[in-house]
Amino acid sequence: MGRHLYTFLLLLLFTNSVFSWKKDEFRNCNQTPFCKHARTRKPGSCSLIASDVSISDGDLVAKLIAKQSSQDVSEDQQRPTKPLVLTISAYQDGVMRMKIDEDQSLSPRKKRFEVPDVIEPGFLNKKLWLQRLKEDKDENGPISVVYLSEGYEAVIRHDPFEVFVRESGENGKKVLSLNSHGLFDFEQLREKEDGEEWEENFRSHTDKRPYGSQSISFDVSFYEADFVYGIPEHATSLALKPTRGPGIEFSEPYRLFNLDVFEYVHDSPFGLYGSIPFMISHGKSRGSSGFFWLNAAEMQIDVLGTGWNDENSSVLMLPSDQKRVDTLWMSEAGVVDAFFFVGPGPKDVVRQYISVTGAPAMPQLFATAYHQCRWNYRDEEDVFNVDAKFDEHDIPYDVLWLDIEHTDGKKYFTWDRMLFPNPEEMQKKLAGKGRRMVTIVDPHIKRDDSYYIHKEASEKGYYVRDSTGKDFDGWCWPGSSSYLDMLNPEIRSWWAEKFSYENYVGSSPSLYIWNDMNEPSVFNGPEVTMPRDALHYGDAEHRELHNAYGYYFHMATANGLVKRSDGKDRPFVLSRAFFPGSQRYGAVWTGDNTADWDQLRVSVPMLLTLGLTGISFSGADVGGFFGNPDTELLVRWYQLGAYYPFFRAHAHHDTKRREPWLFGERNTEIIKESIRVRYMLLPYYYTLFREANVSSIPVIRPLWMEFPSDEKTFSNDEAFMVGNSILVQGIFTERAKHVDVYLPGDQLWYDMKTGAAYKGGVTHKLEALEESIPSFQRAGTIIPRKDRTRRSSIQMENDPYTLVIALNSSKAAEGELYVDDGKSFEFQQGAYIHLRFTFSNGKLTSTNIASATAGSRKFASRCIIERIIVVGLSPDPKTALVEPGNHKADIERGPLLLRGGPAPSSVLTIRKPNVNIADDWTIAIL
Amino acid sequence: METRIRPNLMLFGCSIILLLYGFTRSAASLPPIDSLFGVSPEDASYYKGLSSASAIKCKDGSKKFNKSQFNDDFCDCPDGTDEPGTSACPNGKFYCKNAGHAPVVLYSSRVNDGICDCCDGSDEYDGKTICPNTCWEAGKVAREKLKKKIATYQEGVTIRRQEIEKAKLSISKEEAELQKLKEEEKILNGLVEKLKERKEQIEKAEEHERLQKEKEEKERKEAQATKDDDTKAEDTEPTPKDIHDDIGLVDQPPQDSAEDNHGSSSEPELGDHSIEDERSNDVAGEQDGSIQNTKHLGEDSTSHGKDGLDSGNQVRFKDPNDSDSLSNMFVSYRYDSSSSQRHESDDELDFSDITGTSSSSWLDKIQQRVKSIFQAVNIFQKPVNVSEAAQVRKEYDESSSKLSKIQSRISHLKQKLKEDFGPEKEFYSFYGKCFESKQNKYVYKVCPFKQATQEEGYSTTRLGSWEKFEESYRVMQFMNGDKCWNGPDRSLKVRLRCGLKNELTDVDEPSRCEYLAFLATPALCVEDKLKELQEKLESLNKDQPKGIHDEL
Repeated sequence: MGRHLYTFLLLLLFTNSVFSWKKDEFRNCNQTPFCKHARTRKPGSCSLIASDVSISDGDLVAKLIAKQSSQDVSEDQQRPTKPLVLTISAYQDGVMRMKIDEDQSLSPRKKRFEVPDVIEPGFLNKKLWLQRLKEDKDENGPISVVYLSEGYEAVIRHDPFEVFVRESGENGKKVLSLNSHGLFDFEQLREKEDGEEWEENFRSHTDKRPYGSQSISFDVSFYEADFVYGIPEHATSLALKPTRGPGIEFSEPYRLFNLDVFEYVHDSPFGLYGSIPFMISHGKSRGSSGFFWLNAAEMQIDVLGTGWNDENSSVLMLPSDQKRVDTLWMSEAGVVDAFFFVGPGPKDVVRQYISVTGAPAMPQLFATAYHQCRWNYRDEEDVFNVDAKFDEHDIPYDVLWLDIEHTDGKKYFTWDRMLFPNPEEMQKKLAGKGRRMVTIVDPHIKRDDSYYIHKEASEKGYYVRDSTGKDFDGWCWPGSSSYLDMLNPEIRSWWAEKFSYENYVGSSPSLYIWNDMNEPSVFNGPEVTMPRDALHYGDAEHRELHNAYGYYFHMATANGLVKRSDGKDRPFVLSRAFFPGSQRYGAVWTGDNTADWDQLRVSVPMLLTLGLTGISFSGADVGGFFGNPDTELLVRWYQLGAYYPFFRAHAHHDTKRREPWLFGERNTEIIKESIRVRYMLLPYYYTLFREANVSSIPVIRPLWMEFPSDEKTFSNDEAFMVGNSILVQGIFTERAKHVDVYLPGDQLWYDMKTGAAYKGGVTHKLEALEESIPSFQRAGTIIPRKDRTRRSSIQMENDPYTLVIALNSSKAAEGELYVDDGKSFEFQQGAYIHLRFTFSNGKLTSTNIASATAGSRKFASRCIIERIIVVGLSPDPKTALVEPGNHKADIERGPLLLRGGPAPSSVLTIRKPNVNIADDWTIAIL
Repeated sequence: METRIRPNLMLFGCSIILLLYGFTRSAASLPPIDSLFGVSPEDASYYKGLSSASAIKCKDGSKKFNKSQFNDDFCDCPDGTDEPGTSACPNGKFYCKNAGHAPVVLYSSRVNDGICDCCDGSDEYDGKTICPNTCWEAGKVAREKLKKKIATYQEGVTIRRQEIEKAKLSISKEEAELQKLKEEEKILNGLVEKLKERKEQIEKAEEHERLQKEKEEKERKEAQATKDDDTKAEDTEPTPKDIHDDIGLVDQPPQDSAEDNHGSSSEPELGDHSIEDERSNDVAGEQDGSIQNTKHLGEDSTSHGKDGLDSGNQVRFKDPNDSDSLSNMFVSYRYDSSSSQRHESDDELDFSDITGTSSSSWLDKIQQRVKSIFQAVNIFQKPVNVSEAAQVRKEYDESSSKLSKIQSRISHLKQKLKEDFGPEKEFYSFYGKCFESKQNKYVYKVCPFKQATQEEGYSTTRLGSWEKFEESYRVMQFMNGDKCWNGPDRSLKVRLRCGLKNELTDVDEPSRCEYLAFLATPALCVEDKLKELQEKLESLNKDQPKGIHDEL
């Protein structure tokens, strides 16, 4: 992909009018001193060299000191600097960690903030005890080398200082490097000099900045990379477009600063609700690598376009035979705590990242089904009406949501008793049909002395303080509000107690929680958030942990739900703000999107990016939050949204009602069918959620994750893989007649509706159908389904399975099925069934692959397989033999789907094999 | 579709449930051995040809199935023909007899889903969920409810019929009135023209006279100045006696006064026969009866702002001669205002002086008087007779004011008769009426053919202007109300249903600024629907097998 496309895309970006997005409310790089400062520095500005390189306590340690002999006085030398301490550690499975901080033995002015409670405790046990330091030399001078993992080494260059990971061996190829362009900068804490002005003003807000500038910036290079991905959350393409370089007119860097952005635009590098400073590179020749900077302060990241540094002669000789993507990372505060992931496959990188930040939680089954939300379902009657309408139309749904208006004056944990006189009874009534409810609980606490939460919190001093030390008072939904200091573990456990059934009056076991506004949103604050000089636990400044605030809140809420059930019930908490590690606590959605086609389109790269960065349980509001979608858009959104990992329809208060049955019979049918497709695929989705939980691989994936050497997939963000078996292509334009679908790989793909076969490696121009968007099953896979859709997922529990086997060119296929009780933690003790289905030589075999060490608990099931559909089998067999039992099952033609549609001739059905999923068995086609 | 709720969340894995119930059959539960389980009686004949030997077609024609494939918990027909009694086909339908209550057709997704949907429990037969038969109790309740509904309809149908009769009568009367008024307008218009002409002549003469007088005065002054004479014998002022004579002439009643005997008053302005006449048409004792008529007392205020009779409700109480009927009305008006419906009277006016069956008498009088004026005044040309001029002016003013009243009454009637009162004019009585409902802090006020508002204290928000009836006269639509901040213009749909009284209930805002309300009204108590309900009850009673409650 050349520069021209980038230029074009960027032009598009800036000529697009910004509708309601209040751009001026938010700072750009030029208005942000640390960003402006870092961006104007020239390559080679860094004058630090590594000295005293040694091994200590199993780590490589070094001091970074300013080079004495330097002739030209670079800007960094205007201020005297103390040495910095650098530590490099190696962890199992190809993870290198590098920390750079001020030297604590030189008693700096303040301990710089390190983000607590993010790194998975188990990760620290994976540390490799480095013992041997190899001193070496390359064309640029002396280097020190340590072992990193099989085939990889960590290297530190002394002068100029550079850190990189390379393939083992003297001329091993570089994988990742830091400060190869000499842009490293670390502003050390110091005393204020006379006449210095440290305050910063933005609009009407003043940031006192009592510690002055403390920013950090550096360049990171990814080798053998064609593209870089990740660093959510931005509404932009999957493959990150360069933000600087030749031919790029002007672009902001990708900003990571959790913000409540009103009516965000669909193609912008501006920061949204969550931040994950983790970037993945991918290229055809080598594969993937990753870089993660654990830092919760505001961050800005430039992706530097090819030729960005042509005018400056490089300080270092960089390998010219390696394709490279350079990036610049800038942060306002904190320390360098960076992780280098060697890959080499995309799945390896994600797994390595997850080993640091923790595995995605295993959701309850209901949470993976369809959610119905609106701001607001007004009262109990409204709730019952909507509930009844779903039944009337035989449309399944699992969860009904209540937004802020259900509370008494936006005091969370309370109910407006005029509208909801009997909340428990209401929940019970829905629970009788297996349905759950969700209420919203936000972090702003109404400053109302009669409100028990406020009373306790202010008495106990649990609020974030403003720069003068008083409880911070900001404006949010309830009016004057204060914000709990969720950085403090004591406050988090106090908060968790609030979710007990006794404390949360009107709650019941079928009620779950939604955390909104946890960026945090402060209507009258700078950039609609909390002032950076607000004070937290341990006198940390808000600037240092801003991006993690919502994460701690999410964590505390999820822990509350675990607590209320004595650790028996898996929590479900949806959060808008997120940070690395949020995947351990629940689902995330892309916030307040808008009902237009571009936002439908951008939902795909946004969710794919979240998945790549660990958050596999994610969704976008189906229909678009703001505005009224026209019927076609709403229908298309349902068709796509049914494949989101988190599938919820939501709508703004000011929009028209848009429940599925309000758009005429035909559209009701189409929407119903798309929801039913999701329910039909729930066994497959649940298996994928388990895969994410165990192997870190996201539920929905970019095509290149499954086809890493197929270049055509690298920037495709209109289609995605659900697991390794299904490819879904969205339709993002009005009245589309045709849709182009690129099907990767060399195997066939089968249309999941018609069974028609399509060649891989080809872009197919398909007719755009009204009733569905294109979806394909990859040849060589087996998908478990439940074809009987019920009122809600729970009633499907005992229903029999259907297996769909799509044979590849060697007439083979495989797939998996994971089943547990769908709600408790017993699966962690081994109470689950995990099967691998393999089909080869005309025989289907089911094998239990549950790990033998999993635990003592057992999960039994009498559920059977009622139907096996085989696609791609050419002869016309009549019977199959089921073993054990030696009974015969009939084979006949079609259909692929029971809910109408043509019965393709190429599809065979094995009728009633009726084997139990808990048993091992084989079915041979005779 | 009715559903009884199981108290607990169904949170058991199938294995656990199986263990609990000691269930040993195959997990794919088969329905009871009943040749046509889950098939509705109307459909039974379709399965006639089904036997183990011969296969029949799926209804959609897609496939064939034989007896062993019928209700075998495996879906062969995508439309569900072969699985009426199981959940195997996603598009299937399950019929439960519900003996003792109404039969129900369920989606097949309800079969063996752990929730008792049929009151006879037939939808849950896999042994995992026990559903007691509750059809008798449920049926009893349903029949009672149905009976009540039928009773309401029966009474409602009568009221509706009466309303329609009344409406038709009123409409034809109003049409007649309109016709008559149009004729009167024509005549009066002629008179006013004549009077105007005459008035202008007089004014011209007066002007001439005045100039003449000024001229004479000037000459006189000049003459006096020269002669210095002290006599003032040439005074030109008319004598007071002349004026009196003229007035007396006009004040005499016309010779032909036979019409006067008809009314209670000799003054047309004071007569109000319309009230008496129309009231006699009303159904005695019915609440809206008297109310309905009060609207004839009003007319459009904007066209009548100046004649002093327009200040809203008071208008109708001004006439001392009609105090009896009016005070009655006052009482009933007050009574009604406390109920949920009231008249929108603030823009209606008193037509009592120009309407009514005997109203032509006043026209005759005017004609007489005008005639006499012309006879009386044509004799003198010069100088202008002062009393004659006043007489003409007075007559002109009165007549033209009367004319404008007639005209506005005409336009009011025209507008009213243009409205869509429904196929049988059953909504005629809604005209000029408002229905109110108080909900929390808001008072909702729905005025058909006009507008709807939401009042909170002294502030009023318009929910919409009358648009039309929708959904075959089952919904009243009000559109283009006050705009919502950051939202659409407000609008209101009023859903109508049969009830004995006009009663506004359940105002709701399902979507922001899109309101929904219900109005119970006899106008919706349609005979066809009554018949339907009666038939339903009959069939319920018929289906009720003897001795069913002995079983229970």
